[in-house]
Amino acid sequence: MSGKLAKLKVKIRNFSLKDMLDFKNLPLRRDKAIAAAEDKDINTSFPINSNAARLHPSVQKMVVSRIIERDGCSARTLVLKKEDNSPAAWFRAGQYVSVKMKIGSSYVTRPYSISSSPKLTKDGRIFITVKENPGGFVADFILTELKEGDSVLVSGPEGNFYHDRLRDSRNVVAVAGGSGITPFLSMAYAIRDGIEDFNLTILFGSRTEKSILFRNELDSITEETDKVRVVHVLSDEEAPLFEHGFITADLIRKYAPSDYSLFICGPEGLYRHMEDVVKELGLPKRLVRREIIGVSGRMVSSVSDTPEESYRLSVIQGPYRYETTASSKETLLVAMERAGILAPAKCRSGECGWCRSKILSGTVCIPPQNDFRRNMDKQTEHIHPCVSFPTSDIVLEVPRGDTPDA
Amino acid sequence: MDLVLPEFDVVVVGAGNAGLMAAIKLLQAGKKVLVVEQHNLPGGCASSYIRGRFEIDPSLHELASVGSTAKPGSIRRMFDELGLDINWVPVKDCFRAVGKYSDGSPMDITIPSGKEELIEVMEKEVPGTRKKMEKLFRLFDEVNAGLAYFSDGTNYNIRYAIKHYSNMLIVGSHSCKIVFKALRLPQKCIDIMSTYWSYLGVDMGRMSFLHYAMMVSSYMTEGAYIPAFTSHELSVALEDKLRSLGGQIWFNCKAMSFLFDNARLSGVRTVYGDIKCKYALANVNEDIVYGRMVPKEIVTPRLRRLSNARKQKYGARMFTVHLALDVSREALGINDYSIFMLGTADSETEYRNIMKGFDSNNFSILVCYNVANPSASPEGTCICSITTFGSPVDWDNLKPEDYAAFKTKCAQKLMTRLKEQTGIDLFGHVEEIAIATPWTFARYLGTPEGCVYGHETADWDDIISRNLQLGKDYPVKGLKPIGAGGPRGDGYSSAYQCGELMAQMVIRELEEMDGTSSEARS
Repeated sequence: MSGKLAKLKVKIRNFSLKDMLDFKNLPLRRDKAIAAAEDKDINTSFPINSNAARLHPSVQKMVVSRIIERDGCSARTLVLKKEDNSPAAWFRAGQYVSVKMKIGSSYVTRPYSISSSPKLTKDGRIFITVKENPGGFVADFILTELKEGDSVLVSGPEGNFYHDRLRDSRNVVAVAGGSGITPFLSMAYAIRDGIEDFNLTILFGSRTEKSILFRNELDSITEETDKVRVVHVLSDEEAPLFEHGFITADLIRKYAPSDYSLFICGPEGLYRHMEDVVKELGLPKRLVRREIIGVSGRMVSSVSDTPEESYRLSVIQGPYRYETTASSKETLLVAMERAGILAPAKCRSGECGWCRSKILSGTVCIPPQNDFRRNMDKQTEHIHPCVSFPTSDIVLEVPRGDTPDA
Repeated sequence: MDLVLPEFDVVVVGAGNAGLMAAIKLLQAGKKVLVVEQHNLPGGCASSYIRGRFEIDPSLHELASVGSTAKPGSIRRMFDELGLDINWVPVKDCFRAVGKYSDGSPMDITIPSGKEELIEVMEKEVPGTRKKMEKLFRLFDEVNAGLAYFSDGTNYNIRYAIKHYSNMLIVGSHSCKIVFKALRLPQKCIDIMSTYWSYLGVDMGRMSFLHYAMMVSSYMTEGAYIPAFTSHELSVALEDKLRSLGGQIWFNCKAMSFLFDNARLSGVRTVYGDIKCKYALANVNEDIVYGRMVPKEIVTPRLRRLSNARKQKYGARMFTVHLALDVSREALGINDYSIFMLGTADSETEYRNIMKGFDSNNFSILVCYNVANPSASPEGTCICSITTFGSPVDWDNLKPEDYAAFKTKCAQKLMTRLKEQTGIDLFGHVEEIAIATPWTFARYLGTPEGCVYGHETADWDDIISRNLQLGKDYPVKGLKPIGAGGPRGDGYSSAYQCGELMAQMVIRELEEMDGTSSEARS
C-alpha cells in the first residue's frame, strides 16, 4: 500500500486492488473472527461489579441485635446486625446510613451517623445512636417501641463527612454537640484501629457531666491512642477538669494545633453558633466541614411565620397514582410518607438528591440553606421533596422508593 | 397493589444518551414510549453531582460534532431541531500535550482546533511537514466524503466509489499506525497525532484509520464544546422533551429481563411488573443484555461467539479525580482546557503499560472546566479533573476495606505527577474531592467492569466493520441494544447518533410489522 499512498493527491486513480479488496472484505474478516470464537455462555460476572455492590449495597437487611440504654442522656444505641450474618458494607468513619422502618402503615426513613468502628462491619455489625427529640415521630418510636430482634432496612453507607487526606489537614478539631458526637466516635475508633491516620481533637459540648454521651468509650479510646484527644465542654454546670460554657473561637485556639481542619456536627443551635466562631477564626471554606444530615429545625422554622394551609398532593410514581393532602408546614416527603407512599429518601436535608422529583404543576418553598439542587434542576421544576414545602396544590412525579423486599 | 400496567409500542431500557435520544425520535414518529431507568437520574454518564458549593460533571471531557451557530454540526442540529436551547460553550484549543517524543526529546505542544492552525503549529514544531500534513487532511476529507457516500442509507455503486473515493478504500481496512507510516509522516509528527488515541481508548496499532479520520477532522473543523451547566443540562433537556412529547420515564425502575413470545420480544420485566411492548431498545451493554436479560434459547450462536470473540475487552475503564479548588485557575497557572500528560509517545506501549496496572501507568489528562467556562464554579474557585484509565489488574481483587486508601494513593500520584510535569500544584487548595474509579462506574452504570465505552472499537470489531454488519448484529426480533458499545462507537455524540439511528431502524421495522398485520387482517 505504501507506494500508492505516497503519491496521494486529492484524486488519484492509481490504487492497489489488494487494499480495496481488504476493505471490501472487512465484513468477512469480522465474520471469521466471530466464527473462530467458542460458542459458550456469555460471561456476566465481573469482580469489579461485585466489589462495587459489596461496597455500595442499595439496601442491607438488618436486625436490632442489642439495645444499649444511655442512662441520663435520653438516648439509645442500636446494635444493628446483618440478618444473614454476612459482613455489613464497609464505610468511611463519619458516614451515615439511612434507616427505614415501618411505623403503623407508613414507611419512614431517618439518617443516622454510624458510631462504631468500620472494623465491626466484618461480623456484620454497625452501631447507631438515637437521642430523644421532642415531638420526633421516629425518635419516639425508636426510644419507646423498638425491640431487640426487630427488623430494619439500612441503606449502604452515605455522605461525605469523613477525613480525606488530600483535602483535610492531618489535624482535625471536631466540634460536637450532643448526639453529634456519633461520627467522631466512629472516627476515633477508626484511628485507634489503624484504619484512619490523623490527629483528632474533639471539643464535645454537653449540658452536664452526667449527660455526656459515650464518656466511657471516649475515655478508653484516648487511653489507647495519643492521636485522639477529648475535651468536654459543659454548658450547664461548672466542674473541675471540664471546660465550661460555649465552644468559642478562643477555646478552639486553646486546643488546636497551628494547622487544622474544623469538623462540626451537632444540633441546629450549634451550627448557628459556630457560624460566627468560624468567621472569627478566619478559616477558609475548605478547612471547615459540617455534617448536615438530620438538621431540620431551621428548615421548618423557615415556614413557621405563615399560617398552616392544606393542599392537594397528587403523586405519580411509575404506573401508580396517589391522591393525598400536604400541609404547608411539612415537607412533601413527610406528606408522602404519611400517606403510605414509598418515596425515595436518604439524607432528608436536601443534600444527597436521592429523592429528586419533577413538579408537573404547583409551587413549593425551599429553604435556601437546604437547596442543594443542580443548576439545571432549579430551572426545570425539579425538586428534592425532603426539603420542599408546598405553597399550592401539587402534582409531583417521584422515582420508585427502595422497597422492603428489594 | 394489583395494577394492570399500561402497554407501549417501545420500551427503552436505560436513560443514557442513546436511550433518551432514541425515545424522543420514537415519540416524534408517533410511537407510545416508556423509558425505564435503574438510577434516579437521566443521562447515565451524562450527569452531575453537588459537593458543597460546586456542581461537578462526572464524565464529560468535551463533545464533538457540535459546531458553531454559523456552521452547526450534527449534534447541535439534533438539539436545535428538538427546540432545545443548550448553552454550548466552545473549547478553544484541542489540547496541550506534555511528555517526551519517541526520540527522548521533550514534548510540550498545544494542538489548536482548525486545520490551517494545526498545520502551522506542526510546521513550527516539526519543520518540513506542511505538505505531508496537507496530504493527511486531504485524505481526511476524502474519507469523510466516502463514509458519507457509503452510509447515507442508499445503495452504493462500487465503480463510482473507486472513481471518487479510491484512497478511502485503500486505507479503509488499515490501522492508523500503518497509514501514518505509509504517508511517511516524520516520527515526531506521528507522536503528536497519536495523542488522540486516548479519545477512543484504543492504541494506534489497532485503531481503524477511518474512525480516527472521522474523529480528528470533526474536532479540527467543528471544534469541541461543553454545555455550560454540566452534562446534566443535556440530560435534563432531553428528559423534559421526552415528557412534553407524551413519553413516560420511570426512575429507580430496574429492568431484569426481556420477555418473548414465539421468539419475538413481547415485553420487559421490571421491578414494577411485566410491561407489554412491541419492541425494546436496551441502552445496556450487549454482554449484559444477551448474557443476563434474554432467555438462553433466544440468544443465537453468533451472538455468543461475538461476545466470546470480543473476550470481554471493554474499552476505557476510567479513573478520575474530581477536584473543586478554592483558588482561581489563573492563580494555579492553568491556561489550557486539557493537558495530556504522556508516559510515552508510543500509544501501543502506553496502552500496555496502562493495562499492567497503576504502578506502570504514567498517562493522565488534566481538564479545567473554567478555562472554557468561567462560570463553571463560584468566583475565585475552579473545577478540575485528572483522568487516567484503570486496569482490572488493580480493581478486580481489591478489598472494600482497602478501597479508599488505594484510590487516594492513586489520586495523590496523579496530583504529584501533574505538579512535576507542569508545575501546577493543586495540593493545599482542595475544597472538595471525589475520586471515581471503575467501581464507581460499575455502581452507577452497572456496565461490565465499570467500562464507559462498551467493547473496544478495535481491529476486526472497529466501527466501520460494525456498520458494515448492521444487518447481522441484531438477530433478536424486537430487541436492539444501543449505546456507546454500538455501531457509532463511544462518546456522547456517538451515543446520541446511535440512539437516532437505531430509533429509525425500529420505526421502519414497526411500520413493516403493522403493514404485515393489517394485510393479514384484510
